[in-house]
Amino acid sequence: MMNVPLRDPDTVMRLVRLGSLHQSRLSFMRILTRRMAREKWRFAQTEFHINDRGEGHAVYTAYAPDHAYSLIAFAHNLPNEKRSDRVIAEAWDATFTLFDGIPTPKDIARLAQNIPLQEAGRVTSTELSVSRANRSVRLWDHVVSALAAGHQPSQDQIDRVGYLMRTTAVYGSGKLGAADREMIADRPEFAVPFQVEMLSVYLTRWFVRDLVQHMADCQAAEAGNTAANLDSAIARSIGIGNSTGLGMAPFLLNHPVLFNNWIAAREAALSRVRSVENATPEAIALFRALFARNLQLLGNWRSGHPVQVTKLEALRDDTTRLQNYLSEMDLAAPYAWDALYRWAEAHLSTEGQEWIVSLLLEPYGEIVDSLAETMAADNTATFRIAGKMSLGELRSLLENIYGWAIETDWAEPANKARAWYVSEEKLEPRLGERFKEPIEAFEQPLAPGRDAAELYACLAHWPSDATVANFLLRHPEHRHSVRRSQIVGRAPYAEIRDNTISDQIMPIDMLRCKLAFFGATKFDPRSDRWVRICLYGNAPMPPELTQENCDYWVYPDLDEVSA
Amino acid sequence: MSHSLNEIEAMSKRAARGSGLSWGLAEEAAKGTRWLSAFNLPGAALLAQLLEMNDRLPLVDVSPVSLRATFWRAPSGRLSPLIAGASLSDCAVQLMERGSITMEHLCVPLLAVPFMGGAALRLQNPVAVAWDGLKLTTDGHHLSLEGDTEKLTINLAERVTFYAPAEMIGHRKPVIRANVSPEDWDRLAIFAHRTFAPATEESRLRGAGAGLNDND
Repeated sequence: MMNVPLRDPDTVMRLVRLGSLHQSRLSFMRILTRRMAREKWRFAQTEFHINDRGEGHAVYTAYAPDHAYSLIAFAHNLPNEKRSDRVIAEAWDATFTLFDGIPTPKDIARLAQNIPLQEAGRVTSTELSVSRANRSVRLWDHVVSALAAGHQPSQDQIDRVGYLMRTTAVYGSGKLGAADREMIADRPEFAVPFQVEMLSVYLTRWFVRDLVQHMADCQAAEAGNTAANLDSAIARSIGIGNSTGLGMAPFLLNHPVLFNNWIAAREAALSRVRSVENATPEAIALFRALFARNLQLLGNWRSGHPVQVTKLEALRDDTTRLQNYLSEMDLAAPYAWDALYRWAEAHLSTEGQEWIVSLLLEPYGEIVDSLAETMAADNTATFRIAGKMSLGELRSLLENIYGWAIETDWAEPANKARAWYVSEEKLEPRLGERFKEPIEAFEQPLAPGRDAAELYACLAHWPSDATVANFLLRHPEHRHSVRRSQIVGRAPYAEIRDNTISDQIMPIDMLRCKLAFFGATKFDPRSDRWVRICLYGNAPMPPELTQENCDYWVYPDLDEVSA
Repeated sequence: MSHSLNEIEAMSKRAARGSGLSWGLAEEAAKGTRWLSAFNLPGAALLAQLLEMNDRLPLVDVSPVSLRATFWRAPSGRLSPLIAGASLSDCAVQLMERGSITMEHLCVPLLAVPFMGGAALRLQNPVAVAWDGLKLTTDGHHLSLEGDTEKLTINLAERVTFYAPAEMIGHRKPVIRANVSPEDWDRLAIFAHRTFAPATEESRLRGAGAGLNDND
């Protein structure tokens, strides 16, 4: 019996690899749909008061075993010149909150005064999230006019975009006055991270389908006609978009333990599957079937960004190579999954390696899925500095984790060309040019490598038996770096082992990593720091969700309409 | 106004940084303010008071001179509860070995209490503190108060003694919600504002890497 070790953090925690992660069965959306099906959640549209201009509100309720959660959606009639996906926008096509329970008319009246304002509004501890979405104007108009004219929209046009609306922020965890995670973390349905946000988006997608149908019905009625009903297979192929910018990048740096737990779960899952000695015929058949379905998903992944175009070309080459390998290999041979992984490591691009890693986990729900329970984090226990640690120990910790940073020449301007800062304009996180803009005084602590190297240099003339407590009394400016090192000493996947401020930094790598853990597909960078993706494409609509379709929906059925 | 603890923490971190604390201390000040707020204690108001008092002072002036001394004192005469508190947390093991650590002329002593919670978690033993006839004990998760609670929010304590191990006697449960007056919130916001880069047209257009219009 072989126990394949976890991959080395120095390999895993590089930006190029984190920026190549794919959704997997440990992604938060899929964990949620499995739970909802297993626990037989019920779903109902409980209110829909929207006029023929597309203004009004609707309520969708999900009934978990012990609680109900309601998405309250406000629909607006937004002039084009106001449609921006940026944080600094001030109006949206639709705004939402996930309400803890079933809202009364009084709750809805209160929220109608606040949710449409987003950051300028206030919510309370009965609200679990606040979000907004904008239409994909082209696809929206196409679908409405096709249905209003009595026929189905073009699948090809749908596949090109993938969604009718894209969310531009989904705030949870106490933002704008909403409930803190601590208030709900003891409910089993929220034990896994981001389940509130994922539930909110899942219900949002249902609302969007109803809204587009409603607008088509209104348009048809005006012309004295009857609109076609959106085909349910086509509706399933439509996901919810998401437009994400720099706000998400600091998250991974600001939540090191949580980040560690996500990566560690995925790495443990990979290790478990690679350690399987003999794959059953069922597991092999499932793997081969999902491989083919995953190729179809890849076929619909388009991007215009040169970096992603190159990566997609490499990934498509990789899948051809993989097909050849799989046609020759006997997957029933001992440790065939490990052999496949090691072959991939030697022959495929990073994007291809991580694609196969995610796929390898698919047949193994019984040994992988329980890892979902390890993905949350309670920060308090790891936040304190161990002051009794000797500087000798700290020094070797730094050499171990930040070797690359200690060797980097930080006097070289290219190595610290950028600086992360927060703009006073709606507190939008931004990335600027350190040597060209007056931003350095406002720099956020998002360059752990550089800071660790400075700490290391500062320690040089201190005796090895001095304690961290005494050092920090003289050097409080290094507290955050000492804390990080101690955290990473215990949680090796907590740190990105790469330069986050160089002139080469691609913040979209960080976004990609986080979005892959959400379960996003169709990663489409629009610049080096802004990306659009698709959530819940191909997922069953809430009333269709069953134990049979709750797991592998992300991969289009070969004989069905695809997304 | 009712605030979430995350809002308190985010605001406190920015405000503490804006007042001149290092990022590491600002993070701890914020966690501490959040911790106090969770127990329905006026963490945010006290933090604002302290930041106004110590605005942009050199940290060394309000730090303990030595961690080995019988009494921890600041060279300027007034200890910052955030810096002395952080040192107390760093010295958790030493606190247990010594049995007690005493600080002299500690400003806003309640702000040092959350660090004691951190030490209690590390030691897996309750830690207590006493000043002016008031005693607080915590195991990190709960808090118990005995004695003259009017002294909770004093500005300066002559002598503050921390003990470990201690014993919990009854306790407050966290409320996981905080009330901060708009005035106190604004006091913190003044400090926080110093950490934001002024909006420039170039930063608006380039800093986020996205355009301003999304009609596609």
